Amino acid sequence: MTDIVQVRGLVKRFGELVAVDNVEFTIAEGETFGLLGPNGAGKTTTISMISCLLEPTEGEIIVDGHSIRNEQTAVKRTLGVVPQEIALYPMLSAAENLAFWGRMYGLSGTGLKKAVDEALELAGLADRSKERIEKYSGGMRRRINIAAGILHKPKVLLMDEPTVGIDPQSRNHILETVKNLNSSGMTVLYTSHYMEEVEYLCDRIAIMDHGKIIAMGTLNELRDVVGGMDVISVIVGEVSDGIITAVNAIEGVEGVNRANGVIEVLTPSSSSVLGRLVATLESEGAHVTSVTVIEPNLESVFLRLTGKSLRD
Amino acid sequence: MTRLLHIAVKDMKILLRDKAAFLIMLGMPLVLIFILGSALSGVGESENVDIPVAIVSVDAGDQGAPFAEAIADVEELQAVFNIEVLDDVELVRSKVEKGDLTAVLVIPVGFTEALAAGEPIELEVLQDPGSEMTAGIWVGVARAAAANLSAGQIVRITVENTLARAGIPQSPVTFQQGDTGGDIAFDAVSVKQLDVEPEKQVEMIDYYAAGQTGLFLLFGAMFGAFGFARERRERTFARILASPATTMDLVGGKSLGILGVACAQFLVLYLGTTLLFGVDWGPTPSGILLVGFAEAWAATGLAMTLSVLGKTERAIGGIGPTVIMLFAALGGSMIPVDMMPAWMLPLQSVSPVYWAMGAFLDLMRGEAFSVVLMPVGILLGIGAVLFTFGLWRLRYE
Ligand SMILES: Nc1ncnc2c1ncn2[C@@H]1O[C@H](COP(=O)(O)OP(=O)(O)OP(=O)(O)O)[C@@H](O)[C@H]1O
Ligand SMILES: [Mg+2]
Repeated sequence: MTDIVQVRGLVKRFGELVAVDNVEFTIAEGETFGLLGPNGAGKTTTISMISCLLEPTEGEIIVDGHSIRNEQTAVKRTLGVVPQEIALYPMLSAAENLAFWGRMYGLSGTGLKKAVDEALELAGLADRSKERIEKYSGGMRRRINIAAGILHKPKVLLMDEPTVGIDPQSRNHILETVKNLNSSGMTVLYTSHYMEEVEYLCDRIAIMDHGKIIAMGTLNELRDVVGGMDVISVIVGEVSDGIITAVNAIEGVEGVNRANGVIEVLTPSSSSVLGRLVATLESEGAHVTSVTVIEPNLESVFLRLTGKSLRD
Repeated sequence: MTRLLHIAVKDMKILLRDKAAFLIMLGMPLVLIFILGSALSGVGESENVDIPVAIVSVDAGDQGAPFAEAIADVEELQAVFNIEVLDDVELVRSKVEKGDLTAVLVIPVGFTEALAAGEPIELEVLQDPGSEMTAGIWVGVARAAAANLSAGQIVRITVENTLARAGIPQSPVTFQQGDTGGDIAFDAVSVKQLDVEPEKQVEMIDYYAAGQTGLFLLFGAMFGAFGFARERRERTFARILASPATTMDLVGGKSLGILGVACAQFLVLYLGTTLLFGVDWGPTPSGILLVGFAEAWAATGLAMTLSVLGKTERAIGGIGPTVIMLFAALGGSMIPVDMMPAWMLPLQSVSPVYWAMGAFLDLMRGEAFSVVLMPVGILLGIGAVLFTFGLWRLRYE
């Protein structure tokens, strides 16, 4: 398999800030590649450089054999881009929006019409295609936002957090769409800060933080980073900073992750930590309703590597 | 190139769906033209005017006074002018200076003598330089009066410098000697025999049609600039630039969209005012259309400049109308240019409204096509300068 996207020594500075710091990865043709990272990790900046919207401070990107430095038009023709923010014309209908974006990618005539109809079908919005986007719900707009990026059937699809802020049903619909596109041969670069999405979709994953790729590989390879470790998930009523500090102080605890009402503790030996963990939580006044030991996931990997939570 | 056209079409479609834009670009000017035009109608219509003028005879002989009376008695003149017969030159001079009189015909000291001797007579016209047009008519009257002075003599009358100032060719008028002998028949005096045609009066509704059209065409610029801000805010600019479309497609397409909308707006205002209000745009539609196009282009340039002066629609919505109203005021869209203080006059030359409106009015007065060439050139130039400035500072994010 050839690498259809090659990113080498990529750096982007905004003044003092290094938004992307020496990033390197390749994506094989037909692969779905995940870029996972918290807010501000540098995912959008990386995608913007691949899609020729931002010029890298250093480094090189090759897309389908074309350099973003001097063959931008060729690169742009290869790509489909689904931006993180919905970029559509609210005053135009869904069909008009799609037709416009199709034309920007050189579609016309019956080819365009067919592509628009297919994209509408894919978005599940064929029956409301004549309505202006401004009347759509957030989830519906998201779906058209994605449809606009794929209707010209690009070789490589860049999707920047396409599921942000939508209901679970729309989200599942989008994930299925990406799966289908990929199985039809499209190469996908998918960014997200939801580990479940990346775990579900991606063949290979790069975890990004503060502009750097801190781990990369298949899901199983990444799980090995936390090899032999357990994750204890405790459901408590309310999590205070005091509780986190106290839990971190327990011997054998390698990291603590908090997410609304849940504490996840990373440890090499769950049996020896479990007792002290529950006792500490009780003494801190936390109301424990459930304790489970789970298989490590990307969350645990991130926790292990950075000592902090992927989610805010 | 096709991408450029698609971007233009998309922009036009969006603008046509914008009700506020529609109202401001078409509704407001039509309503204003109607209100201002009908409220002030009559001011420019000749049947109702009563232009204050006077005739002064300082003739030492006995022909001057009856000549003056004879002119003052002509019915056709009384319809247009409010004629006073006076005998104090200094008094009338101060009245003209104060604007109480528009023009005065002075019959000179040697009038009777010259008449008897068949020598040339110089009639003097004092006029208010601010009302050249009406004074011009009065000068014409003076000439006609003299022309009808069939005193059985050849009279040469030269109406001095005043004529040149009124913009009327200073050709001496020659009269044939009649066969009636020595009697002077003044009652043959008639305005109809004016040999100098005064400029065609532009009616108020026409004036405001020219002025408001000149003004509101620039509002297309504001909505065009809104389009830039909106595309930045909604990130569609970035999305277009991530597609194979070039910046040239983007800028060219958006500009073409603005130009197209402005041209359509102009056509609607032009035809609308003609059909609804009977506005007379003059006998040279090709000139009117050319001026309209040139101002539409100036509006396109202004849109580019506005789009970089303000980042957001809010900012542009503040700057835009201010700039446009300033241009309109300087250009004479609100009050006639000759009522403005002198210090403002040099500023007019930067206002597209001034050039467009001036050209519209010239054509309405019946001047030839060639009169628009300079204003059109200047409008295209203003558009090019504003466009270049905008392009230079344009940011896509
Ligand atoms: N145009 C810019 N100018 C200055 N700083 C920028 C610019 N764009 C991004 N940054 C900074 O670069 C860093 C990375 O931003 P980026 O948008 O790439 O993050 P992200 O991973 O996409 O985050 P999110 O999940 O919130 O979308 C952030 O600190 C951001 O503030
Ligand atoms: Mg982002």
